[in-house]
Amino acid sequence: MDFALTAEEQAFAAAVRGFLRDHPPARYSLDGMDAGYGSGSHSRAFLAALAAQGWISMCWPEGHGGRAWPMFFKLVLLEELALAGAPFGPLAGCWQTADAIIDYGSERLRREVLPAIARGEATFWQGYSEPGAGSDLLSLTTEAVRDGEHYVIRGHKIWSSHAGIATHGLVFTRTSREARRSRGFSMFVVPNGTPGLDIRPIRSLTGDVYHYEVFLDDVRVPRDLMLGREGEGFVALLNGLDADRFWGRFYKAPALRRVLGHLVSHANATTVRGVPLARDPVVRRRLAGLATDVAALRGLFYRAACLLRDGAPITYEVAMAKVLADETGQKLARLGMDLLGPWGPLRAGSREAKLDGEIAHSYLTSLGHTIAGGTAEVLRTTVAVRGLGLPAEPRASGRG
Amino acid sequence: MDVRPSSTQQLLVASARDFLRRYCPLDQVLVRALDAQGFDDKLWRAMAELGWPGLLVPPALGGSGGSLLDVILLVEEMGYAGLPSPYVTSAVAVTTALLAWQSAPPSRRLLPALASGERIATLALVEEDGVFDPQTISLACDGAGRLRGRKLFVKDAHVADEVVVVVREGTGLGLLVLPTARAGIGRQPLDTISGDKLFAVTFDAVEVRAEDRLGPSSGEGLAAALQAGALARTAEMVGAAQRILELTVEHAKTRVQGGRPIGAYQAIQHACADLVCDVDASRALLHAAAWTASEGRAAGADVAMAKAYAGEACLAAARRGHQIFGAISYCEEHPLHVFHKRIQAASLDFGDAALHLETVAQAIGLEDHPRQSGRVMEEERHV
Repeated sequence: MDFALTAEEQAFAAAVRGFLRDHPPARYSLDGMDAGYGSGSHSRAFLAALAAQGWISMCWPEGHGGRAWPMFFKLVLLEELALAGAPFGPLAGCWQTADAIIDYGSERLRREVLPAIARGEATFWQGYSEPGAGSDLLSLTTEAVRDGEHYVIRGHKIWSSHAGIATHGLVFTRTSREARRSRGFSMFVVPNGTPGLDIRPIRSLTGDVYHYEVFLDDVRVPRDLMLGREGEGFVALLNGLDADRFWGRFYKAPALRRVLGHLVSHANATTVRGVPLARDPVVRRRLAGLATDVAALRGLFYRAACLLRDGAPITYEVAMAKVLADETGQKLARLGMDLLGPWGPLRAGSREAKLDGEIAHSYLTSLGHTIAGGTAEVLRTTVAVRGLGLPAEPRASGRG
Repeated sequence: MDVRPSSTQQLLVASARDFLRRYCPLDQVLVRALDAQGFDDKLWRAMAELGWPGLLVPPALGGSGGSLLDVILLVEEMGYAGLPSPYVTSAVAVTTALLAWQSAPPSRRLLPALASGERIATLALVEEDGVFDPQTISLACDGAGRLRGRKLFVKDAHVADEVVVVVREGTGLGLLVLPTARAGIGRQPLDTISGDKLFAVTFDAVEVRAEDRLGPSSGEGLAAALQAGALARTAEMVGAAQRILELTVEHAKTRVQGGRPIGAYQAIQHACADLVCDVDASRALLHAAAWTASEGRAAGADVAMAKAYAGEACLAAARRGHQIFGAISYCEEHPLHVFHKRIQAASLDFGDAALHLETVAQAIGLEDHPRQSGRVMEEERHV
């Protein structure tokens, strides 16, 4: 066993901290809302600054413009960025898309999209869910029909994060009706602005826009923008889901540690009825308990990271870590609201708001985290069936 | 970073699993849980032949010079088997204290005998307030150098040949190593639900000799012993919770109600998912803390987190196990309660969650001194 970062990883962490000192994240303009996952807002400007360091493509193979650095450098980067509260919102999605393109993308995707990702210019929305296909994703109805060298996509996607400000969508479609339930799906990289694409904002309960719904009305997409082979989109998606959940939640532990630090400072600096909040035994115990939860969460993610790095089979580890991440985040937001009392609900920008209103924001956004990317219920079932080998509940109906 | 045990450690764990499966099967665990001695002398001797009690002790003193991490992985297996024994107190906590003063007379006398398993020692720390915190110790030798008073919750005192007594000496603390046969030492059993054999140990004008003293007063050796004890009891909880998980999942796969295994119902599936999460998260903290301590780095907060977390999570796992098993696990002849009670006992030994969370509270920067923070607030109010 060895729970320390290597000397190289520690040196890289120091380099990232130096970069953050020289490039204070607060100076970068923001294009889209922070959904509270810990990766901050969508900021193309900050993404470009990361790209200028070569950090977006640092782990890609050299033949694709990368430096072939080991995967743990990405963990180091994410951890330092999250601890600093930097706006790196689209970064994990960019990495996953790039990995998919490197693994099974067409020549055109590698030539056109990959360099744009490396420059921090391309960001992605996921067109997975549909109004009638949420947890039961495979009941989706969006169809792509072959027409010569093109596919024509028709359907309706929803809950696509940052779709209105990203550059491309990853659209999951059915390409064959005859096939078995898990076959006949294909994934397309669809550039925003393609005729027939209608992207409409959904205002969330925070008052801001994070999600969009996307109407695809005979959207013509060249064949070589298909990601992978026809009919094999589901395999790609399934392989991607664990990675999606891992990279979409890895930075939650450091992000929660950052918020916890703010709450500790608040408790140290606040007196209630003449007694410092930090001396209240209940407050001490709850904050210490949350710090412990966050440390456990970090441990589970690093364990999953070692499995991913070593190519060991992942059955339930990432699903479980995601559930714990999201529920720990909700617990921390709830504790923050308790500690702030009547100041809790004051928004960022309001007079009298404490901690920049971040607790109110994270309280609201955390509600979505146990739903997005696989609900906590679906994932617990995954842990039980895939991880522990319990028998699957019989399906009510469907194509089996 | 690598979360896997080394190949030597994997070998140690595999051979321990194999040995305990053979010599400490569930029916033996159930028998021992009910008898007065609480453990099997023959099994202890067999463990000694494998070198387990001497794992922490350097070869020069009769041990095999393993690391604390090795010991923790071994104790995890003992927890998995439900093995009752004085191992944690004698071979981990007391041994760690003696190792801090290797040249002191009691250490030279006792370490080889503890390493060979010939003698068993226990630790007498806790007093009337029930806190595993050395700061609260008040027992001290009187003016004539004799010990009067008592200690509570002393584990395995009935089989201990020696007792290490933590006493106050001036402003510091001292450790006395006394044979339990010394005149004036009494051992009264406390009857507990947990299966741990706990005692009140009384000292009635007990003579204390110069050669009973464990070196000059220093908090470090005791702190190391308490840290090792806390880690080992955490390992025992993680091992026991892992066993509960496996027994429970097996039951969920085979118990049929309403025409299908109960594990095919989501209510049971989700309870099992929470169970595995509790066990895995506890183990993640345990291994990281044990590695940190083993490397000789400051591990106080890591150990506190691991012990506090496992104390809650492994107990939750045990209660879930009972719920999933249903009525059968309410029976004495069913093994689940033995593992549950072991976790219950371990969660309290070497500090409960409240004690360890206070260590964490200080480590994350919560001030416990009122002045400075009060002043800041006054300034804020005047803004």
